[in-house]
Amino acid sequence: MLFNSFEFFIFLPIVFILYWFVFGKKLKYQNFLIVIASYIFYGWWDWRFLSLIIFSSFIDYGIGVLLSKENRQVKRKLLLWTSICINIGFLGFFKYYNFFIESFAASFSFFGSDISTSTLNIILPVGISFYTFQTLSYTIDVYNKRLKPTKDIVAFLAFVSFFPQLVAGPIERATNLLPQFYKKRQFDYANAVDGMRQVIWGLFKKVVIADNCAKYANIIFNNSDDYSGSTLLLGAFLFAFQIYGDFSGYSDIAIGISRFFGFNLKQNFAFPYFSRDIAEFWRRWHISLSTWFRDYIYIPLGGSRGSLNKKIRNVFIIFLVSGFWHGANWTFIIWGGLNALYFLPLLLTNKNRVNTDIVAEDKLLPNFREILQMTSTFFITLLAWVFFRADSVTHATDYLQSMFTVSLFSKPAIMPFTVLFLVIVFITIEWLGRHGQYALERIDRINKPLRWSIYIVLIMLMFLFTGEEQAFIYFQF
Amino acid sequence: MKKFLKQFALGLFVFIILNTLIAVTYEYPTYKSVKNKTNRNYLKWEALHQNENTFDLIIIGTSRAYASFNPMLIDSVLNTNSYNMSTSAQDIAETYYSLEEIFDYQKPKYIVLDLFLQASDASYDYYQTFSNASFFNSDKRKFNLIYNGYGTTGILNYSIPIVKFKNYIKQDMVGLFSNNKSLRKEDTWFKGYLYDTLTVSKAQISNFEPISNFENTTFNKNRFDSYMKKIMSLVKDNNSQLICVRAPYPPSRFKLNDNDDENTYFQSYMKKVNIPFYDLNSIKNYKYQDQDFADYHHPNYKGAKKATQQLIEILKKS
Repeated sequence: MLFNSFEFFIFLPIVFILYWFVFGKKLKYQNFLIVIASYIFYGWWDWRFLSLIIFSSFIDYGIGVLLSKENRQVKRKLLLWTSICINIGFLGFFKYYNFFIESFAASFSFFGSDISTSTLNIILPVGISFYTFQTLSYTIDVYNKRLKPTKDIVAFLAFVSFFPQLVAGPIERATNLLPQFYKKRQFDYANAVDGMRQVIWGLFKKVVIADNCAKYANIIFNNSDDYSGSTLLLGAFLFAFQIYGDFSGYSDIAIGISRFFGFNLKQNFAFPYFSRDIAEFWRRWHISLSTWFRDYIYIPLGGSRGSLNKKIRNVFIIFLVSGFWHGANWTFIIWGGLNALYFLPLLLTNKNRVNTDIVAEDKLLPNFREILQMTSTFFITLLAWVFFRADSVTHATDYLQSMFTVSLFSKPAIMPFTVLFLVIVFITIEWLGRHGQYALERIDRINKPLRWSIYIVLIMLMFLFTGEEQAFIYFQF
Repeated sequence: MKKFLKQFALGLFVFIILNTLIAVTYEYPTYKSVKNKTNRNYLKWEALHQNENTFDLIIIGTSRAYASFNPMLIDSVLNTNSYNMSTSAQDIAETYYSLEEIFDYQKPKYIVLDLFLQASDASYDYYQTFSNASFFNSDKRKFNLIYNGYGTTGILNYSIPIVKFKNYIKQDMVGLFSNNKSLRKEDTWFKGYLYDTLTVSKAQISNFEPISNFENTTFNKNRFDSYMKKIMSLVKDNNSQLICVRAPYPPSRFKLNDNDDENTYFQSYMKKVNIPFYDLNSIKNYKYQDQDFADYHHPNYKGAKKATQQLIEILKKS
């Protein structure tokens, strides 16, 4: 079920009414409803894969209980690795099996010997990368004694499958989300209104910005051989806004919907395109995944401590793993590698934490230096996005080669004025709202008629610019 | 909770009011044109419903077909009684349900279907489709087109005016800021054919884009295949013969790209299902010029004359 689909439009009010009006008095019933609603939500795509979520949930619940009873370090470690192997095993099989088989065969043929391999026709279960990481965070935190294992199986099932963020995040930590299932939830007017506002903004990002940029980005990327450098640059620019609108839009909708049910999820995007360097970009882009990698991989590896070689190794590991997490394709790995290369100079010169504040805070406009920093950071991320979007490494390199020719200074063959106008409006709203968790968070400071007019315009634009229904990009991960 | 629901209801109320205003603004001209008997879709269906079992050749397809084939010319040469039932932005599902309606009232010997990649892609002009379908006499058929043809999205588009009229609202919004307000003359129609006297300008020619192909459209092969099979079976069951054609394009567009998926795909598909298919662009005796067109893909009266003559020759062979 897509958030921007007719089915969800019916599903959400039904769950909302049942949650507050029918099961509102008993916490256990509310949690049970969330589990059922989440399984329906997920099963709408393919009910067969529900078994995977249920199996993973029971395994991690059981391991959590066993960890609470076990004091011997060797046995605790064994339990932890059982959970990691099972969860990563599923992920590896469904997501990476064919990639490894093909790469294995390709490496043999590179050295002159052909081996026969057979790939499987495997369907990737939607959201497997997200819920696997979420449930793993529980086991790791229980193992590290940062969290007490839960004995409430319904709360745990609800935590793993919570439908607003089940298929594309934000990847919630058990330490933040699980305790919210234990507490009685009261309907909070201000929180629900804020949630509604965030849903509207998320839908606007997805339907108006991402889907309309996608239309042209797809044409340009699919016909990249035929276009001039300037058109290809436009294609990369539109893809940058497609992926941002798509993914951060999904996160906003997920966070907003959670608020209707009395839950608070962590911010997942913090205006990343206003970053002044790549380190800041990575603190602002897909925060739940970046912090997951930081806490469970980067820091255990030693982080930025230790010898120079170790620092470099750790940066490459985290970025390459991040790239690989996105998909079983060399394009994602190169995308991760490129970001590591961008990040490394900042780390080595101890400049990776220079820009931790909000750009041009308390000012309406940035200064010239900030504009330059933001533009250059955006430009290098844009180059990396070409690898992310391209069908293959050759496609990406050809795309970049054709982009950096004299034709870069010619008039683009495609000029979607309306879409570009919408992107400019979007950037302006994001800039004005960059102090909040999302662009419209502080809109309640302006008077009601103007505020309502803005809502109406945004909603009308959504209906006017709704194109063909496009699945969220991150569903494939 | 009460306050939240109240606010939500108020928002919904404002939304309904705005949609009602949009519906009134955009439906009223249609209502007026139907009342004055000037609405082109109304007139087409009226001709079809009122003159039962009189037409022996029906042409169907998108606006490219109603700008290309002149039934008066066909009838004068072949001594037939033909009618052009093509409508703007006609989708393949719409073609199928239109044919169902046609066969309820007519027994044509031939159905000429103009094929166009974008008639089976993922972006629909719901207003045009629903406007055309609103003149079906069968309510069940209207519902089938909306629900079977477009699913829940169809229902949503049918019932929410802002979505239904979005293309026209956008056009009008752009028009507010544009100096190029084109003043089109009153259209002239003959038996469903648009007699267009406009000629494409040099500026328009310089902005031409390549012919539709699989890369620059969202052509849905499965959808096309599914509806084509239904169309073939429907035509066969009604003892009619199906002939497929591809209407002409300005030659300058072909020069922009070697990729002609549209022709290649339709040729091979029709060969497989054993239905005659003629690409009017590749019949050598008829050379088209850019000046034979009113814009980037609609022939004007000069282009239509050539296209109709080609069709007459095809029909003579059949």
